[in-house]
Formats: sequence, structure tokens, C-alpha cells
Amino acid sequence: MSINKSDIEHLCNLSKLKLEEDEKAVFLEQMQSILKMIEELQELETEGISPMAHPLEMAQRLRADEVLSIDRREQYQKNTEHTESGFYKVPKVIE
Amino acid sequence: MISSGEASFEEINQIYQSRIDKINPTINAYISNTSSILDSKTNQSNDNRPLAGIPYAVKDIFCTDGIQTTCGSKMLEDFIPPYDATVVKKLKDSGVNLLGKTNMDEFAMGSSNETSFFGEVKNPWDILRTPGGSSGGSAAAVAAGIAPIALGTDTGGSIRQPAAFTGITGLKPTYGRCSRYGMIAFASSLDQAGLLSITAEDAAIFLELMAGFDPNDSTSSPEEVPNYSKFINDNLSGKTVGLPKEFFDGSLEAKYQDLISECIKVYENMGVSFKEISLPNIKYSVPTYYVVAPAECSSNLARYDGIRFGHRSDRTDNLDEFYKSNRQEGFGQEVKRRIITGTYVLSAGYYDAYYLKAQKVRQLINKDFLEAFNNVDAIMGPTTQTSAFKLGEKIDDPVSMYMNDIYTISSNLSGLPAISHPIGFVNNLPFGMQIISPHFQEHQLLNLTHKYQLETDWHLQQPEMINEAKE
Repeated sequence: MSINKSDIEHLCNLSKLKLEEDEKAVFLEQMQSILKMIEELQELETEGISPMAHPLEMAQRLRADEVLSIDRREQYQKNTEHTESGFYKVPKVIE
Repeated sequence: MISSGEASFEEINQIYQSRIDKINPTINAYISNTSSILDSKTNQSNDNRPLAGIPYAVKDIFCTDGIQTTCGSKMLEDFIPPYDATVVKKLKDSGVNLLGKTNMDEFAMGSSNETSFFGEVKNPWDILRTPGGSSGGSAAAVAAGIAPIALGTDTGGSIRQPAAFTGITGLKPTYGRCSRYGMIAFASSLDQAGLLSITAEDAAIFLELMAGFDPNDSTSSPEEVPNYSKFINDNLSGKTVGLPKEFFDGSLEAKYQDLISECIKVYENMGVSFKEISLPNIKYSVPTYYVVAPAECSSNLARYDGIRFGHRSDRTDNLDEFYKSNRQEGFGQEVKRRIITGTYVLSAGYYDAYYLKAQKVRQLINKDFLEAFNNVDAIMGPTTQTSAFKLGEKIDDPVSMYMNDIYTISSNLSGLPAISHPIGFVNNLPFGMQIISPHFQEHQLLNLTHKYQLETDWHLQQPEMINEAKE
């Protein structure tokens, strides 16, 4: 499967990234060689094999629905200057 | 030394502090040095806990309460976590002393430490060469004697490859053995915390403290934590080790092959027997990994939007542009490339062909290991194909860089524990042997390595810069 410059632009948009024009050309070339390497997987027969998502056979652990952590909003919000009255500020969303 | 009163807590800290001042500017192993924080602690000389005052370093991927945690990225340059990672908390509770946070490839993506926003780390054996990555800062710090032991993480070889390149011991425990809580996520089904140390014995002592179930990480294992240091002296006779023919397919140069053969002889003299085994699907490990890891990375790194923490751009035209600018400016090239690769393999139309396919191949690789362990106690082979390569040699060719992890990646796909220990030198550069065990058999890896280290002194060799710093 080949990939072109507009694919790279589409993927950038999906993953909320931006690339400069010269970066796009470099990425395109590197992505093509990465995809070629990944392509090797196609030669293996995997009919009937169950996909493995996780290394250990574990069931999702559940716990009682109790509040365990305390509200530390003030501390958490120290990692940005852009807060007001306990809220985070972002650029205008609704016109 | 501390417990016998030969040296005080402060004296030991002072020795490391002065070594860091002399050596770190050359090798760039630390991003931040925290040992000055020691001053504010009280009564430590009277602390009777066995490890009280033992200095250690932490890869800058682990959150440390109130201490800058960058993950090697501009994105987190100013990030100060309000909590400790569980493994850091456990070590803190045992009284060990944090020397500093070590340099690493950005978000642990890289095999040479060159993707760090804070500059490349130099190999203490040859500063023109890479210490490996992504835990390159931790490895270089231990090899250069500016930390006795360091925490690292291993997603595809990020502890073992740097350990091999710098001539030290590197242990990647079983997936789930140590909590991932507070360890900044790269690929959640592969990431595991581990140790870089001089000896297996040191690793055993630290692993005992770090391992165990954590309610904050539902993928951490409830499996009981053994007393690792008790097992390290066990007799090796009767053990059978498998040598995968796929690891010895003739691609390894003779000078490295000779070191492997010498190492095998040492083990044979201790009663270990060796047999050839086959892991037929192992050659698909690298392509499988480079589907699974970027897929998980693209999902994990979606959280960096620059709003609640992380790099925030001054260009704030509209929300969409805001996200894109924050991420464009905050992430480096390798991280962007992996996010884009991951987005591609997960996107509609390609999911089955790439991601689902890779998960099936992952199952086949895992089956190969499980079958092999029916006949052998452990598996051995080289950790890397060569000794440390030159800085700049592979950075523009991602596939050649990725191939560097060819021997280490498969144990992450299967979640198996593995260790690398030094077995000799080629042209004054260290080379390592990897041992892989069944799940939760870390004690066996530590036992084998410890016994080898009692018979040899490769792990005690020191780069010239340590002596120069003493002068």
C-alpha cells in the first residue's frame, strides 16, 4: 500500500499535528520505508489466530464505586497559567 | 557503609554530587539534578531502614512529586507533577535518595537518546557514540559512576539495549510486575519499569521494593513478589537454556559471536546445559512492534492538547489551530512520525490489514515462546547486533534505527522478563548477553546473572572518564 502527500496531510489533521512543507517530504519518504517494513506481515498466514491485545490473560479488574481521591484542583491547575475561577481557558469555541 | 557508620548519608550524597558536577557536563546524562533537595530532609543519618540514604537516579519519564518531569520533551518542559509514580513512591518510602532525573529519548521513542529535546547523551566509553536508548541517561549515569543504580523503562528494549551499550546490567521485568501508575505512557501494552545497575544483586534488592500490585494500575499483577535476593545464589546445575537459531543465523559478526561463546562456556562450567531451539515467527517482531507501538502511542499522546498542562503556543487563532500549534511546537520529529504512523494503521480501511494483522502475529510470536519454555528454563542470545554505534549514524534512517531492537522487542510483545549483562569488549566497547525467562521468573534471570558475575568481572570494568574525574 502506498502513501502520498495528501495522505500525510489527512493524517496530520486527524492527529492534530502540523508539518512544514519540507517536513512533509521527509516524512513521506520515511513513512514509505516504514510501511514497506510493516508490509512483511502480510506474508504470514493468520487465518483463525485470535488477536493478542495484551501480554497477560487478565480480566478487567473492578472495584467498589467509592470516592478514593480527594479534590486537588488547585494543585493540578498549577501546571498552566491559563485558568480562571477554577476553569481552564481556551480560545473562543462558539462564534 | 552508611549502616556501619563508615560514611554518613550526607558524605555519600556529597561524593555523588561532586562526581555529577565533574562528569555530567560531558555526557549529559541528567536533565535535572535533585540531590541538593537532600538538605531539607531531617534526621536521615539516624534512619535505620536498610536502604536509607542509598542514592539512585530516575528516568525522567516517572512522575516525581514537585519535581520537573519532562519525558525528554519540549511538550513537558515545565511540567511539575503533583504526585509520585508508584515505583518512585515505594522507593521513597524505603528511604533511598533521589540524585536526579535522567535524560531519555523523547517520550521514550528512540534507540540512541538523540531524540531528546534536552540534547543527546554520550556513551561514557566513547563520547562520540550513543549510550543507546531510550533509557540512555540512566545507563550512562550508572556506567559513568554518577549514579549507583537507576530506574528505566523498557517498551521495546529501552533498558536492555542501553545496558548492553554501556557495559552494565539492565533488567526489564514481566509486564505488570511493577506498576505503571505515574510512568508517562508510550505503548501501554508494552511499557514496563525496570532497573539499570552494576550488578544483578543490586537489581534484586531494588526490584523487591518496586514490584507488586498497585490499585492505581489495573494491569499490575497480583502475583506475589518473591524475595529476589534470596534466590540469586541458587545452584545453576541442571538448568537448560535455549539458543534460538534465529538469533544465531550468521548475521552476528565473528568478534561478537566469540564473546557469546565465551559466555556460554562460563555458564556451562556452572552446570548449565544449552540446546538449540526455534522461534519461527521471531523475525516478524520488528514489523509487529512498529504497528502496535505507534498505534498505542497515537492514542496515548492524544492527551497533549496544551490546555491543562504541557506546551502552549502563543498562536491562538481558533481551537483547532491552537491544538495543532501546541503539538507542532511541543513534539519532536520522531514522536510526530510515530503518532502519524499509529493514526494510519488504526484508520478506517487499514485497521484490519495492519493493526489486527499485527495483533494476530503477536499471538504467534507469543506461542513460539510458550512452546519453547516447555523445553528450556530460559533463552539466551545477544542483546544487540553490534556494540554502540556512532551518534548521528542512524538518526535520519528510522527503519535502520528500528532494526536495532531486533533481539529485544519480542519479549515486550510477549510481556516476558529479560535481562542484559555485559560479557566482554570489542575495540574497548562493551557488548551484552540477553536472557529471557517465562513470565514472573525474574528471580531466575537475576540468579543466572549473579552467578555469572561471581565468575567474571566484565560488569566491574569502568570507563576512563571515572578515573580522570578523580584526579
